[in-house]
Amino acid sequence: MLTYLIILLDDTSTSYCHYEVNRKKRNLISIEDLKAGIIWAMKENLNVQFVYPDYELPSEYLKIIDSLDHTDIKLFRNGKYADVVVLNGWGDDVPEGATCIIRCCRKELTEHIPVVNNWLKRLTRLNVVLTDVETFKDSDISNYSDTLSSLGKNIATLYASGHTPQLNLLTDRLMLSEMNNCGAGDTSVTLASNGKFYLCPAFYYADEKDCIGDLHSGLDIKNQQLLRLDHAPICRQCDAFQCRRCVWMNQKLTMDVNTPSHQQCVVAHLERNASRELLIKLEKLGVRISNSQPIEEMNELDPFNIVNRWK
Amino acid sequence: MLSKIRESGNSWKNGTVKNITFIVTKDCQLACKYCYLVGKNTKERMTWKVAKKAIDYVLEREDEFREESVIWDFIGGEPFLEIDLIDKICDYLKTEMFRRNHHWFNSYRFSFSTNGINYHTKKVQHFIEKNHKHLSIGITIDGTKRKHDLNRIWKTPEMELGIQPKPEDEKGSYDQVVKNIPLWLQQFPDASTKVTISSADLPYIKESVLHLYSLGIKEVNINCVFEDVWKEGDDILFENQLTELADAIIEQRLFESHSCSFFMEHIGKPLSRERDNQNWCGAGLMLAIDAKGNFYPCLRFAQYSLRNKPAWIIGNVKDGIDQNKLRPFLTLDRTTQSKQECIDCEVASGCAWCQGENYDAADTHTVYQRSTAICKMHKARVRANNYYWNKLFRKLKLEGRREEFEKQKSKVKNPIC
Repeated sequence: MLTYLIILLDDTSTSYCHYEVNRKKRNLISIEDLKAGIIWAMKENLNVQFVYPDYELPSEYLKIIDSLDHTDIKLFRNGKYADVVVLNGWGDDVPEGATCIIRCCRKELTEHIPVVNNWLKRLTRLNVVLTDVETFKDSDISNYSDTLSSLGKNIATLYASGHTPQLNLLTDRLMLSEMNNCGAGDTSVTLASNGKFYLCPAFYYADEKDCIGDLHSGLDIKNQQLLRLDHAPICRQCDAFQCRRCVWMNQKLTMDVNTPSHQQCVVAHLERNASRELLIKLEKLGVRISNSQPIEEMNELDPFNIVNRWK
Repeated sequence: MLSKIRESGNSWKNGTVKNITFIVTKDCQLACKYCYLVGKNTKERMTWKVAKKAIDYVLEREDEFREESVIWDFIGGEPFLEIDLIDKICDYLKTEMFRRNHHWFNSYRFSFSTNGINYHTKKVQHFIEKNHKHLSIGITIDGTKRKHDLNRIWKTPEMELGIQPKPEDEKGSYDQVVKNIPLWLQQFPDASTKVTISSADLPYIKESVLHLYSLGIKEVNINCVFEDVWKEGDDILFENQLTELADAIIEQRLFESHSCSFFMEHIGKPLSRERDNQNWCGAGLMLAIDAKGNFYPCLRFAQYSLRNKPAWIIGNVKDGIDQNKLRPFLTLDRTTQSKQECIDCEVASGCAWCQGENYDAADTHTVYQRSTAICKMHKARVRANNYYWNKLFRKLKLEGRREEFEKQKSKVKNPIC
């Protein structure tokens, strides 16, 4: 069920997910489209998330945005008071109690484990978005596992001391009993600065022609069932519940929105398995996670090998 | 004798075979009106260098290509236009499979779908003589002269410029093809032919199948095109033709020695969501290679087969296969790609689809949207098929031979195209 509308206020709005924003030229959404988008969201009963560019918006825009309950996603330097803060880099002095996103490659994450550990002391939640999932190789499994394991040790210590920050890669799976993924085109759609709808910002930046409707004619999502879990043969039987299940990466790497790549599956399973290790550690330390269920031991890192109907 | 009752669909080593298709040329002497190869041309001819690279790529990866057997398939356009290349490829394949002690040596076939025009030529005959034990050759002859010539017409130079001949100037290819049928059947007595039915062919189905039988062809594999070409009333015409054909086959006792794939006992039944959830099509299990050295999950995903969509390239001879691009095919099942109407259909069994046509006709870039253009034709076929089996069973019962038939009938699997 559609629940969220993401509004890209400008072509240079910050990325908060796997996609890159390579556009330098400002292209602010028209005030008419912004108003129409907000009214459409209100009528459809959607929660609105505004994604900001790295410059101050005109006051009339801020006034319109403030006319409804919403979530702001902003880059750190403008994001002191944002609901979701996208960090610029590892040097940022993160706001106390905030929910932050850091976009980075695996190598950077490994090199900055101490920084993440420090951030987690201050933050309510940190989302790590890996920007190089698609280049993940089976030879990277060991390194990424070690990185997750190291982060898990720190989280266990924090939890044992009574501080319970969330790190998406490791703690989401502890609290989930079913898939909780991105939901592009299923639970959320994006309104871009050109006044057209897209499955998510990534589809807009990849190809502006790939729209799913506009503010005048409404939504027209072809094959929308393929964006749902029940129409994804690999994902629907998978228990890496924290996986982003990024349909944009699916389209890019496997050419079908309902089919994840080997890379996405393996990365998600390494996170799942590291979450399992963390859960066992926490149990040993006497820390209870409410509603958490045991995570079964699993050697297969790619559920495709289970689902493949022709092996 | 009832043991002679013939059913179609028993293909060679069904289920454990890798099908590797060389698209050796996109050229053909004919310009068949129903041909799904919309991008045929004279330019894209496979070179020996590309063919050798493809062979080396496959044979070097014995652990990845683990199927018990292999069918090396040659297709066009018209494959026999490239007989010199094919001969060289087959010689190299035999030598390399032997040299590498590959498990496919002595478990391989060379397969051809040809329009039959060059069948009698010296080079083709020499090739047949050399490889006879390992050959499957299907000549496409569509039935009677008037049906065959309706669609299977000669290409003219103007067609390459996009100029279509007037109907009265069209020249059919029946006469050139039919004269090669006796030689073909002499060399391959059990050979079958593949007949394609489009809207214009419908009035000629009965006479065409019977004509093919009269030529000595015992197995006729026949299907309606999957494209959305069907007109109002075509299903009724189709049903009537099949009913008349059923009468003729039974009355002339042709069922004892001949088969026609339109009549299969297992079709037209409901399918279980769980037990009968397999995909129909084998796309993704096959590998097709074109003149550029690109790999495809089946030739229907090469650009010359597609009207609306870009080619679905899964790799090439240089970089190999990108396994990610095969994943959608290998996880396909019936229900996920079907509309609720198809899942609930009470005559679903035997309703076929082509994954390439599904992709080409889909609203988005996906192989998970089943095209249902063939729906009313399938239902018409089911009605005629029910008629055929009810009539045949009654006849056998009256003759006291029904039980014997029931015991001896073979299980027919879904054919993989």
